[in-house]
Amino acid sequence: MKRLIHLTINDRHYEVAVEPNQTLVDLLRYQLGLTGTKKGCEMGDCGSCTVIMDGKTVNSCLILALQANGRNIRTIEGLETDQGLHTVQEAFVEKGAIQCGFCSSGMILSAKNLLDQNPEPNETEIRRALSGNLCRCTGYQKIIEAVKSVSTQK
Amino acid sequence: MLLPKFDFHEPKTMKEACQILAEYGTKARVIAGGTDLMVNMKKKILSPKQLVSISRIPELKKLDTSGDGIRIGACFTVAEIISSDAISKQLSALCEGAKNLGTPLIRNLATIGGNIGSARPAADLPPSLMAYGAQVVLNCLSGERTVSLDKFFLGPGFTAIKPDEILTEIRIPAPNPRSGAGYINIGIRKGQDCNIVNVASFIELDKNGIIQNARIIMGCVGPTPLRAGSAEKILIGQKPGNELFSRAGAAASSESAPIDDIRGSAAYKKDMAGVLTRRTLDIALNEAAHRQ
Repeated sequence: MKRLIHLTINDRHYEVAVEPNQTLVDLLRYQLGLTGTKKGCEMGDCGSCTVIMDGKTVNSCLILALQANGRNIRTIEGLETDQGLHTVQEAFVEKGAIQCGFCSSGMILSAKNLLDQNPEPNETEIRRALSGNLCRCTGYQKIIEAVKSVSTQK
Repeated sequence: MLLPKFDFHEPKTMKEACQILAEYGTKARVIAGGTDLMVNMKKKILSPKQLVSISRIPELKKLDTSGDGIRIGACFTVAEIISSDAISKQLSALCEGAKNLGTPLIRNLATIGGNIGSARPAADLPPSLMAYGAQVVLNCLSGERTVSLDKFFLGPGFTAIKPDEILTEIRIPAPNPRSGAGYINIGIRKGQDCNIVNVASFIELDKNGIIQNARIIMGCVGPTPLRAGSAEKILIGQKPGNELFSRAGAAASSESAPIDDIRGSAAYKKDMAGVLTRRTLDIALNEAAHRQ
C-alpha cells in the first residue's frame, strides 16, 4: 500500500505517495521526472545513481523512497542556477571530462561534495572521493583534471 | 530491478522495534544502511515479508567513550567511524578497516552493525573488532544479552542473533597502554572490491617489553573470521621481533583454511594470511611502542 512522504529535492518541497518497495532512484526518475540521476548496476557498485542526501553522497538505488522521508536531496538538476552551470559542471565541459555522459551526474555530484568539504583537495583525495563512481569510457584522467582545475581556481 | 513486495516498519524506539520483531519472527528482517540487504533482496536471495528499519532510533547512532571502553551504536556509519577522532586514536585498526570498506557512497550508508550482522567472511570490520576483544549487545523484548564476537559468527550469513533480536551496540574495551593493533586487507583494486585476504593483529606488552596478550584474526580464509590461536601462543611470553613475527605468520598461514574462488587461489590466500599476519604485527608493535 502506498504511503505519503515529504521530502525536499533541489530546494523544492515534495509530497508524494510511494510503494514500500520503491527505491529513491525510481521515485526520482519515474515519478518526478528527474532523469538526470541515472540507473546503472542497481547494486551500489557503479555510482551512476549518486545523489546528495543531507549533505552526504549516497547510492539512491540502495535507499527506499520511504527512507528518504523528511530528507534533503540534491540531484544533478539542482546544481545549475540562474547564473548558469555550477563551476564543477563548467569544468567538466571545459576539460572534456564528459564522453558518453552516463557517469557524469554521479561524478559531478561526488566532486561537488568533495570540494564543498575540502576546497583544495590533492589528486589522491580527488581519486578517493570519486572511487565510488565508475566511468566505462575510462575518461578518468580528464575527470580528475576537471576537478583539479576547480580546486586550484579557489 | 524490482524489489520483492514487503511491509515497511520504521520504529522510533527500541521497544517498538523489538515488539515488531517479536510479532513477525523469521518473516521480518532488520534493515539499517541497506547496502547488503537491498542487494540480496534485488537478487531475490532474500525476500522478507516485513522490513524493519532501525535507522530512525536515535540511541543506535551514538558513540560513547565516557566509560572504561568504547560503545558504538549499531547504526553508526562507516564514514562516521573514519571521521571520529576518538576511534582513530584508540582503535586505529578499526579505522583502517573502515577506510578500506566499499566506496565513499557505500561508507555513508553502511553501518558497523550491518557489517557485523551480515556475517560476510570477507567483511572489513570484524577482524579488527575481534582483535580488540569486542562484544555485541543483542536486544529483544525480554531483555538484552552480550555476546563476544569470538562466539558470534556461525557461518557465511549466519550469526548468534535470534529472529526476535536486534544487534544494538558494539562494546570494545579501551586498549591498555603498551598495546597496539594493525589491519591490512588486500584486494584486486583499492576501491570497491571484495577482500582476497584481510588480517587484524593486536598485541599488548608488559613493562619489560614482553608480549603478554595477542590476538590475530584472519578474514576470507574460512566460513567466519578465524582466530589464529597457535600463532597467538607463539607470541605470548616472548620478546617481539622479526623472527618471532615470521614464525607467528607461518603458524597463522597453516591455520587458515581458504578455498579457491574467482578472487584468488587457496594457496595464494594461505600465503598471504601469513604475510599479512607478520605485517600487521609490525604495525601493532609500532603502535604499542608509542601508546602511553
